[in-house]
Amino acid sequence: MIGLDCAAPSIMFDKLKDVLPNITKLTQDGIYGKLRSCDPPITVPAWMVMATGRTPGELGLYGFRSRVGNSYTDIKIPTSGDVKYQTVWDILGKRNKVSIVIAVPPSYPPKPVPGIMVSDFLTPDKDKEFTYPPGLKNEILRDFPDYKFDVKFRKPERKKIIDEIYSMTDTRFRMAEKFMATKKWDFFFMVEIGIDRVHHSFWRYIDPESPLYEDDEEMRNKFISYFRMVDEHIGKIMDSLDEDTVLLVVSDHGAKRMKGAFAINQWLIREGYLKIKNSELKEGALLEDAEVDWEHTKAWAWGGYYARVFFNVKGREPQGIVEREDLREEIARLKEKIKSIRGPNGEIWNTKVFEPEEIYDVVNGDRSDLFVYLDNLDWRAAGTLGHSSEYLKENDTGPDDAVHDFDGIYILYRKGRKIGKYVDSSIYRIAPTILRLYRVRKKYGIRGEPLEGVEYVE
Amino acid sequence: MATDKKYTTVSIPTPLFEKIQEKIKGTGFTSVSDYVTFVLREILAHEGGNEAFSEEDEKKVKERLRSLGYLD
Repeated sequence: MIGLDCAAPSIMFDKLKDVLPNITKLTQDGIYGKLRSCDPPITVPAWMVMATGRTPGELGLYGFRSRVGNSYTDIKIPTSGDVKYQTVWDILGKRNKVSIVIAVPPSYPPKPVPGIMVSDFLTPDKDKEFTYPPGLKNEILRDFPDYKFDVKFRKPERKKIIDEIYSMTDTRFRMAEKFMATKKWDFFFMVEIGIDRVHHSFWRYIDPESPLYEDDEEMRNKFISYFRMVDEHIGKIMDSLDEDTVLLVVSDHGAKRMKGAFAINQWLIREGYLKIKNSELKEGALLEDAEVDWEHTKAWAWGGYYARVFFNVKGREPQGIVEREDLREEIARLKEKIKSIRGPNGEIWNTKVFEPEEIYDVVNGDRSDLFVYLDNLDWRAAGTLGHSSEYLKENDTGPDDAVHDFDGIYILYRKGRKIGKYVDSSIYRIAPTILRLYRVRKKYGIRGEPLEGVEYVE
Repeated sequence: MATDKKYTTVSIPTPLFEKIQEKIKGTGFTSVSDYVTFVLREILAHEGGNEAFSEEDEKKVKERLRSLGYLD
């Protein structure tokens, strides 16, 4: 199973189809389609939804941070320990199947697994123990001294980062191929994060409809060569497999051009929900650096590819002011207000706002009161303050070319089987597919069905 | 599983036992149990428990996530 973080159907199956011969062969011979991600369609939790077959609500994971207690400022980054359900490799391990698991988020610190594990891009750095068993780290650093977990985005030298991402991805694939050839495994699963980084940082060079479009041939070619390299590695892996091995190429969510960023906390200030004591704030100031008047604040938000809105509830937050009996009404009112936010030119947005209980049967862990998809995720949310307008063309902290889209991809392939079938599917079908292919009949509480047409590769 | 006994038994496959027996011949390990205990201790020590990030580690990861647009 090869995970391409953020791989989008529009790129893989359409725009770059002619320069990706191996991906195209897989789609021609296998079963493929769009893979609807979970809500929210974000790397954490999406990969673990795939690996456990559980919802983000069950996992209690809703993104790259969660609050510690009900603190205003104390946040926690997800770790491997936050995944409380069995993954498919745990289940397979009970049946004496050995797995190689590389960079599946969140997997730092690496947990003991039946097989080997290399932790993901949330690993602080190479000084840390990032493998199971521990000795594997030395082998990796010996054979792949430039192994990287992730890149850091730096605006002034943004163009150079694409070369770094190229080398990171190429190295991870070379390592994966070496493991596949030299180590014992029944189940193999790697995730490559580079595709996500390329999309977020360089989408403007391949999409003339992007508001930031730049006709830059060198960068466009670099974007394409990156995907060619990924395709070549997939081709190598495909060639190395025997006819008894099923290959699954998947992504956790898709991508689309970003229309802009909306400063949601500034909007909450304007609407009277959030009160700041500072008379002046520098542009892009973080909420945590501002002096929030919590005793007069009803709600605040976190930005990102989707926004999370928290109410300041009496008895829950340290200086909560919203009475519990008023909470339902307050939530309903704010929901409508957010839905009525319009674009910079008065255009109507297709904004989705929901409470976690509306989409999950079980809601564990630290959850916000509202999830917000601004204009159906076309606009990202900026939690920062001090901007001259609520509508930001560019993102002041990170890359600003692409946002997440709901549909990722999947391709199911087995050498020697010519199927050629297109059918859209869901991320919740991946864990059941894997268990089915290993003839695991017990459900382990996983509710989804295997991918449609799985019998063709059995 | 509190127990007063100082040692207890675990089962390992016989071929593995024999392999280890062969491996430790002429080394400082006097028994397979000694060797297995040593190896397991090493692994557990390396793992450093399952605690999350140290403060410094978390800062590093947060900075990176912020640069990538996931945090603000």
